[in-house]
Amino acid sequence: MHLEEEQLQRLLDHELSAREEKEAREHVAGCDACRARLADAEREEGEVHALLRAVDTPPPAVDAEGVALRAELMRAAARPRGSSWLRRAAAVIMVVGVAGVAYAIPGSPVRKWVHDLVRQVGGRPEVRSGGAAVPRGAAPNVSGIAVAPGEKLSILFTGGGQVRVTLTDENEVRVIAPAGAATFTTKAEYVLIGARDSSATFDVGIPRSAPWVEILAHDEQVFLKQGARISTNATSSAGGYLLRLEPPQP
Amino acid sequence: MEPEQTPSFHERFVELFDAYFQRVYRYMNRVSGDPDLAADVAQETFVKLYQRGSAPDTPAAWLISVAMNLFRNAASTRNRRLRLLTPSRGESVLGDAPPPPDQALEAEDSRKRVRLALDRMAERERSLLLLQAEGYSYREIAVALDLNEASIGVLLARARRAFREIYKESSDAP
Repeated sequence: MHLEEEQLQRLLDHELSAREEKEAREHVAGCDACRARLADAEREEGEVHALLRAVDTPPPAVDAEGVALRAELMRAAARPRGSSWLRRAAAVIMVVGVAGVAYAIPGSPVRKWVHDLVRQVGGRPEVRSGGAAVPRGAAPNVSGIAVAPGEKLSILFTGGGQVRVTLTDENEVRVIAPAGAATFTTKAEYVLIGARDSSATFDVGIPRSAPWVEILAHDEQVFLKQGARISTNATSSAGGYLLRLEPPQP
Repeated sequence: MEPEQTPSFHERFVELFDAYFQRVYRYMNRVSGDPDLAADVAQETFVKLYQRGSAPDTPAAWLISVAMNLFRNAASTRNRRLRLLTPSRGESVLGDAPPPPDQALEAEDSRKRVRLALDRMAERERSLLLLQAEGYSYREIAVALDLNEASIGVLLARARRAFREIYKESSDAP
């Protein structure tokens, strides 16, 4: 009685129980036909596996932290219902900089991205676990992000809180928040701020020289600087504008 | 309100990513012949794992099942787009790069024939062959493909024969 094909293949792939494998090997040792079948199957399997490698290409340069970050962003994007702008943004986020938990993990590419994208006034940023890059010399309980405004920049808030907007003589748009109050994400044309603390106040400094900067709360434009013209319903206070963000609906 | 990821799951996620990402990517690339699509599907698979918030009981089978579902959905969309954007096969344009050296030509020829053979296989046999080549256990293959575990060995042997026959036919063709 020869080995059945199922047994033979399982023997080859080490899918038999210890007892079954022992019995099968004893049979193969005494059966020329089954020994030849097993050798053929083994050779063929090796050849097939070698051929399959011909179509392999190097895997993409992503790591666990980058994928986890993307998952967090997509989750954040799904929160505000009907926020098509944010959904579009989340759909195109592939390489992002976030000053958040991922930043502090050794070896995370996010660290490099943040260094590429976040430039804090006053020198190199320090790192706070779970927080964000902190400007040297600044109060230790704040975090923030600074980006060049480019031709157009959208700043999107996804949570609740207050936003204090001031016009500055700096070259970069700066967003400062209490440490841990938000995650910051930026790509060339937008900054995404996932506000976690609805009682927090975010300071947004917009260069007077910036040609076009808007602030969106969920999907609604609440502030627009177009050249020298400002359009907003915000309260004007102490040389700036105070916006109140409604937290997302559950 | 969705719970924050616990440190233990985050660590587990990193472990699973390190253990399985390349396998999922390689499998998808072999199935599709489209590295970009394979990369998208592999990443989306792990996005879904992260959003799940806990490790599945059988991670290998879970990941590959999710990847296969994503691939089925993505492939139809991608195919429609490719038909619109890519020139037809065999189209040649003046000023193309010069042909590579002989060795590179041989490798390219081999790649094309393997690709052709995989594309011509029945979907189930191709999946069986490729999952086994990636080292998935019979149990994992059975779960992922919704097959009876008791007959995986026979089905694998058939799939291997089918691949070899189709590959040989394409090699013998003028």
